[in-house]
Amino acid sequence: MISMSAAKFIVIHPFTIFSVTNYSEEFAIVDQYDLPHTDLSEYMCMVVLPFVDQTFLTKHKAIIDRFLAQRKVVCFFGHLSMPWLHQQQMFIPRVIQHHSDYDIALAQAHPIFDGVKVQHMLVNRGVKGFFARGHHPVPPHSEVLLTFTDGTPITYIDRTSTNGTIFVHAGNNLIGPSTMGTESGNSTSRISPQLRQWVRDEYKNLQKGEINHA
Amino acid sequence: MRNIAVLYGGSSQHQRTYKDSEFAVYINQCVPIYEFATASLDDVDVLIIPSQTHAKYLHQNIEKIYDFANRGKIVVTLGSQTEEWLPAHQWEFRPTNFWWWLDPNAHSGLKLTTQSNELFTKYLTIEDATWHQHGVYWPTADCEVLLATTDGAAVFYIDRVNTNGVWINTTLDPDFHFGSYFMPATTRFLRGFLPWLKEGEI
Repeated sequence: MISMSAAKFIVIHPFTIFSVTNYSEEFAIVDQYDLPHTDLSEYMCMVVLPFVDQTFLTKHKAIIDRFLAQRKVVCFFGHLSMPWLHQQQMFIPRVIQHHSDYDIALAQAHPIFDGVKVQHMLVNRGVKGFFARGHHPVPPHSEVLLTFTDGTPITYIDRTSTNGTIFVHAGNNLIGPSTMGTESGNSTSRISPQLRQWVRDEYKNLQKGEINHA
Repeated sequence: MRNIAVLYGGSSQHQRTYKDSEFAVYINQCVPIYEFATASLDDVDVLIIPSQTHAKYLHQNIEKIYDFANRGKIVVTLGSQTEEWLPAHQWEFRPTNFWWWLDPNAHSGLKLTTQSNELFTKYLTIEDATWHQHGVYWPTADCEVLLATTDGAAVFYIDRVNTNGVWINTTLDPDFHFGSYFMPATTRFLRGFLPWLKEGEI
C-alpha cells in the first residue's frame, strides 16, 4: 500500500495495464487484494475502479458494508457484475442500433457536472461509446445525475440503501486521471475536481448526520 | 477436445467473456488468480492469460506458467504484455488509433501474413481481427506470425521454439472489448478463436 498521511480517498486498484496509478496526493492506492489487510479508518471515500475483481470484493463485502455503515462514501465506476455493493443492481447492457443510442443528457443541474459539456463527455476524437454502454437500475429514492437521452440512468447517488452514500457511474473512472479527451478546453477536466469536492461536502454532511436516510 | 483454463481476474469484463456469455462453453475452468499459485493444472491443455490481468499475481506465477508450457502445453496471452515475461519477449508500444475507420479510405494497418494456418483458413477472417492495436511484438525468426502491421511487426504469432510448449501471443484484446460490450469485431474473433483453441490444429 502507498501510504500518504494527507490522503482522504482510497483507490481500490486492480493493477491491470489500463489502470493508471498517477493519482494526486489526495488519493492513497491499495491493491485490491490487500483490502482485507488495510486500515480504512482515515479515509472518507473508497474509489472502486472498472477492472476490480468483483468475485474477490463479494467475498469481502463486509469490509465495504462496514465502511458505508461509518457514514462514508463509496464511488464505483464500471459495470456491476457481482453483488458486493449493498443493494445495487447488476449492469444491464444497452442495445445499440445507431450511434445516437449512446447519446447522454444531464438529468439535472448538479455541482459535479457544472460547466461540463455533454458533447465533451460523449465524443472522443469523433467516436462515441466510451462514456457509457448500459446502466444499473437505480435503488428507490436515488438522485439521478446523467441519463441516456431516453431517460435511462447512467450515473446516480444512493443515500438510502446504507448509512453512507453510494455514487455509481456505469462507465469509466470520473475521479482519477482523465481517460476522456485531454485536449485544451475540454470541459471534462472539470469533473474530477468537482466530484472530489462533492465527496468532501457529502462526507461532512454524512458525519454531521445531515443527510436523510430511509 | 482440449481442456481450457483461464487465469481468471474476476472483473466484469472477464466474467462476461469467460463465465456468462456464449463463450463460457469453451472454458473448462476459471482459476481465480489469487488462488492460481496452488491450483492444479494437471488436466489443463490450454491456459489463457486474459487481457487486463493483475500484474503482481501474474508475475508471481510466471515460473508456474513456464512449467506448464514446458510440459508441452499451450499458453495463450491476450492484449498488451508490456512487462517482459514471454519467451524471447520483444514488445513495442504503438499509440492506439481507435478512430482510423472514420476516414472513408482508411486502412487498419493490419495484414494477414499466413496463407495456410487453419485459424485463418477455417475459423477467422482478417476482418474478424480488425479493430485496433495497443502495441506489437518482434518475435524471433522461427516463430509463426499470423497477423502483422504493415511494417512487419507481429500482432498475432505462435511460438513453438523458445520453450517446450506452444505460446500463442497476440496484442489484440478481444476478451476486454467483448466483456466491455464494445467493438463488434471482437465477438466474431472469439467465435472463431475459441473453437480453434478447443479443437483446431495448433
